Amino acid sequence: MSHWIELNIGPVHPSTHGIYRFRVKLNEETVEDVDITIGYLHRNAEKICELNYFVNNTIYFDRMDYIDAMNMELGYLRAVEALTDMEVPERAQWIRMIMAELSRIAARMVGIGALGLDVGMLTPFFHTFHEREKIQRIFVEASGGRQEVNYMSIGGVYQDFNDKIIEEIREFISEFKGKLEEIVKMFTDSEIFWQRNVGTGILEPDIALDYGVTGPMLRASGIPYDVRKDSPYLFYDKVNFDVPIARTKDNMGRFLVKVEELRQSIRIIEQCLAKLPDGPYFNPKTKKSAMLLLKGQGDVFTRVESESGEFGVFIRGDGGVKPYRVHARSPSFKNLAVVPIMTRGSLIADLIITIASVDAVAGEVDR
Amino acid sequence: MYKIISEETDKSGMKVLNIDKADLIELMEDYRNRRYYLSSITGVDMKDHIDVIYHIHNFDKNDYICVKISTSDEKVPSIANIWKAAVVDEREQYDLMGIIFEGHENLRRILLPDEWVGHPLRKDYDLNKVQYISMDRDGNEHVSFDDKEGW
Repeated sequence: MSHWIELNIGPVHPSTHGIYRFRVKLNEETVEDVDITIGYLHRNAEKICELNYFVNNTIYFDRMDYIDAMNMELGYLRAVEALTDMEVPERAQWIRMIMAELSRIAARMVGIGALGLDVGMLTPFFHTFHEREKIQRIFVEASGGRQEVNYMSIGGVYQDFNDKIIEEIREFISEFKGKLEEIVKMFTDSEIFWQRNVGTGILEPDIALDYGVTGPMLRASGIPYDVRKDSPYLFYDKVNFDVPIARTKDNMGRFLVKVEELRQSIRIIEQCLAKLPDGPYFNPKTKKSAMLLLKGQGDVFTRVESESGEFGVFIRGDGGVKPYRVHARSPSFKNLAVVPIMTRGSLIADLIITIASVDAVAGEVDR
Repeated sequence: MYKIISEETDKSGMKVLNIDKADLIELMEDYRNRRYYLSSITGVDMKDHIDVIYHIHNFDKNDYICVKISTSDEKVPSIANIWKAAVVDEREQYDLMGIIFEGHENLRRILLPDEWVGHPLRKDYDLNKVQYISMDRDGNEHVSFDDKEGW
């Protein structure tokens, strides 16, 4: 005799890291089926974008993946710049690259910290948040915003780097190198962390491709796809970095891929700081008053690599000052859809770890 | 054999194939066999017709292609049997844009409650009509135009 239980996890639950609900069909402790209900946070950013001028929409993209706001606004601005034939000066592009990588580190710190939290390890979470706080102080220095930064603007960045910021970034990077190894050791020294992560949440590469999974999840299944490498934007083709993969296909593989990417991000920032040229930090064509008159016609679709994968933005312009249609291809939306496959037949405890290792941010899932 | 009506390059440098919607399944199956994978589906309401735009991607060749069809009766064939990624994408476009994907096994709303009236991304959607949502004890959501019956 088997007992069927339907269990609701979420919408507001420490393990969902946002607002989504899992309706889990349980046979004793084994997960038979999972139904993911999203949409609790849905703010209809795509509709709001149609009502605004091009320049006003950046803040709505900040609020999609609010953990990794820099990469989100970069995704939108690349699309707008392609649509309106706007050129970005070299210095602004290097600054954007530094900020995008810092934002990736900050987002990953939350991601792996929360993974530890779900395993039951509280200490690394405080350490990772402490590191994230340092990056946010740099963001405040540069833009005035902590979380939703609104730092990049059409044709450049909002404010130039001064010597103080560059010094702060240098200092952060040199400290963070040692600190990262310390944090990683906290995880890998823990027997419980290994036991809970190795062999759970298996994702086969064929299934990952079929479901449109990208980011660390795809790379942990053995496919070295990274937008920064495959179709470089900014100056990612002028710096050296590697795309790590794991062949274990499980939660531990995803954790190790994320850690190795942190090391690569440090490498990228170091090279960027060395190569940062002088020059203008915004396109002189983009005077504040003329921004509202920016017009665009045609279709564009551009992509960036955000913390959880390939973030694409589609914009259709009808020649007016407002976009006709904006659509965001968000990585977590696809990454979450594969969770039922990954967890069917596993224990309920493994479901929690698998959700944490997917690292989906609710704002980006339902936009 | 499918027929490509026209081929162009958009402003971001991506190849765009315009095809008839009757050829969609055949073309997508051909690309699937050549190891292309679905990236996203976008619907655009052009008032007298709806454009449906598919972005597909080959990981080995790093080749991104955009496939465009248009429909005047809101119906397009579903490609959920070709790529599983289309299951959630088609549900999203059905929910927000009101495109009916024929052959999709589970075409229900994904972001909004099932009882929601209208499709918000349509150009003729009335933004002034506020809908209120409430949830009963079993976790089912209900929608009402009356502000006393919801959050």
